[in-house]
Amino acid sequence: MTELALLVPLIALAGGALACLGRTPAAADRLNVVAALVTAAAALTLAALALTGEELRTRWLQVDGASGVLLAVIAVVGLCSALVSPAFLRTAGRSWFTAARSRRAYYAALYVFWAALMVVPVAGNLAVVWLVVEGTTGASALLVAFSGRREALEAGWKYLVLTTLGLSVALLGIVILAIGQAGLGETGLHALDWTALERAALEHDAALLAFVLIIAGLATKIGLAPVHNWLPDAHSEAPAPISALLSAALLPSVALVAWRVKTALEAAVGPGAAGAMFIGFGLASIIVAVPFLWRPLPFKRLLAYSSLEHMGVIALGIGFGTSLAIAGVLVHVAGHALAKSLGFYAALPLLRADPEAGSRPLAGVAASPTATAITVSLIALAGLPPSPLFVSEVLIALGGVQAGETAVVTVAVVALALGFLGLLHALFDGVLPEAGSRSRPHRGERQLVALTWTLGTGLLALTVASALLPGSALVEALL
Amino acid sequence: MTASVILALGLGVVLVRRRSFAIALVSVQSLALGLLALDHDGELFVAGLVLLVKALALPALLVAVLRRTREPRLVAAAAGPLVRLAGTAAAAALAVVLLPPLATGDIHAERMAVALVVVGLSIVVARRPALFQLLGLIVAENGLSLLALSVPGGLSYVIELGALFDLALVVVVASFFTRGIHGELGTGDTELLRGLRD
Repeated sequence: MTELALLVPLIALAGGALACLGRTPAAADRLNVVAALVTAAAALTLAALALTGEELRTRWLQVDGASGVLLAVIAVVGLCSALVSPAFLRTAGRSWFTAARSRRAYYAALYVFWAALMVVPVAGNLAVVWLVVEGTTGASALLVAFSGRREALEAGWKYLVLTTLGLSVALLGIVILAIGQAGLGETGLHALDWTALERAALEHDAALLAFVLIIAGLATKIGLAPVHNWLPDAHSEAPAPISALLSAALLPSVALVAWRVKTALEAAVGPGAAGAMFIGFGLASIIVAVPFLWRPLPFKRLLAYSSLEHMGVIALGIGFGTSLAIAGVLVHVAGHALAKSLGFYAALPLLRADPEAGSRPLAGVAASPTATAITVSLIALAGLPPSPLFVSEVLIALGGVQAGETAVVTVAVVALALGFLGLLHALFDGVLPEAGSRSRPHRGERQLVALTWTLGTGLLALTVASALLPGSALVEALL
Repeated sequence: MTASVILALGLGVVLVRRRSFAIALVSVQSLALGLLALDHDGELFVAGLVLLVKALALPALLVAVLRRTREPRLVAAAAGPLVRLAGTAAAAALAVVLLPPLATGDIHAERMAVALVVVGLSIVVARRPALFQLLGLIVAENGLSLLALSVPGGLSYVIELGALFDLALVVVVASFFTRGIHGELGTGDTELLRGLRD
């Protein structure tokens, strides 16, 4: 497993190089498909080993059940994003790269981003994982601004500056931790291994300060309120395959890093303080997202605010930290990834047929494969049964009660119910036909039909599988 | 003493209006920090490389960006220089007051370093030109490097080199953006990047 964990990101990088070798756009697209399939197969193999085998903890690696879930999510969403990218690039139009370079630049940045994402869940050291998370920023910022339009530049700049700012704050916390470890005689890089941090008897005040700085900094990258300002802009302006990777893979991957920090420092800062910070960010994110879910927003922007809400739910689950809540978190990460990425992929034919759809609320897409994909995505994201997100939200709520946080659970459930109604409202307004209107067929929808079936089936399978999670060895190992 | 000078150079970036002056200040700040690092026990190669990149390569890149993004006139400041300085100094002082002892054995260096990080963050928040925001990120990173020098036994060179690589990556990508924003707006004033609102 160690070799495979080290090999998977290298396969992704080699795949990116391969895709860039294509001399014609068609050749580059074909090489991209090969590279994506090989990369995803390797990552899914590693995910399967992580989910079924023994936990692996070395000085450089930590591969456990949470790594397995995240790796599977990153592999599936990365594969789907790579497969729909040729369709995006064929009709992308303007780019801030020259026409000759734009395809290569896109594939290079996509695979670097994908490779970095696959390091995050398996890295065994806080400093190394910080370096990789910061590394994702450069590649993904270029992709966010790929169109070179004014709005895309604005979104990319905000993303680059705000997340770098947040990660600087997190690095300050990491240096403070390194100082604390040095005071205990632990120096060098491995003083910041997850295992070294867990067993360290750090001084309470400095550990608490480091914890607050690290979590607040990472919250910026996760897009948790109130430090989420870049999120709606980046998700709405990025190419749809990249929006899917940002929302479904990047945000939960960084949430996993924050979770690992909580686990490592809980003894030093106290379980109450550690959990409270996650609960605060989680509750704030859900509450801030709800009014936007009721507004008539462009479809991708609506999905972005839904990401804010769902990252809030995940943060709540991590904050509660009980067996049921952790089971809920795992289901939520996977369910959100499948449903959200399908929503963003549905935006591709929608925007191709009508570029103006990117700047106005969803309307009149009834009776088309796009409508089916949007309906499946929004119903799943709203948490309507049989969506796995319904199960995960119930598990997290029960986990909160189990943790004695009944008041927090009550507020969260009310806010989630309002968010649910908001998304259904958007669904009815956007997908049901207006009187006298006919929906236009969109090109390239066969691929979307296949994705809808695949991801929709995955969502149903996840709902079934989620019944087996509470009390399982996978969850117990993460407590 | 050197730490105080490094902090003062950061405060200088808060005050000046010309981007070229600000680049020069950050370059001198990085040079002073690099010399301080060379003076510490540690990896000379790493300290030298950090010095070369931060004090020479990145400022040279920023000067190149400056030449390609000439402003027709100086970008209007959101607030006067004294107001900016007072706000930044207040934020830095608050951070220093709230900072618990970090057990490096050098409280002065700890305070200067944390104050410099806050100064860098304040530059990003308070200055409108894109290039100034980029310089703010470098100043904040210099603050982190200053604190890293206080770590007993030194911070791992893997972290130092990794952070340097990440900083260089962010500066290169941000330079692309700065040129793109200037090409689109005719100015690097980020205040004009307010089209995305709900």
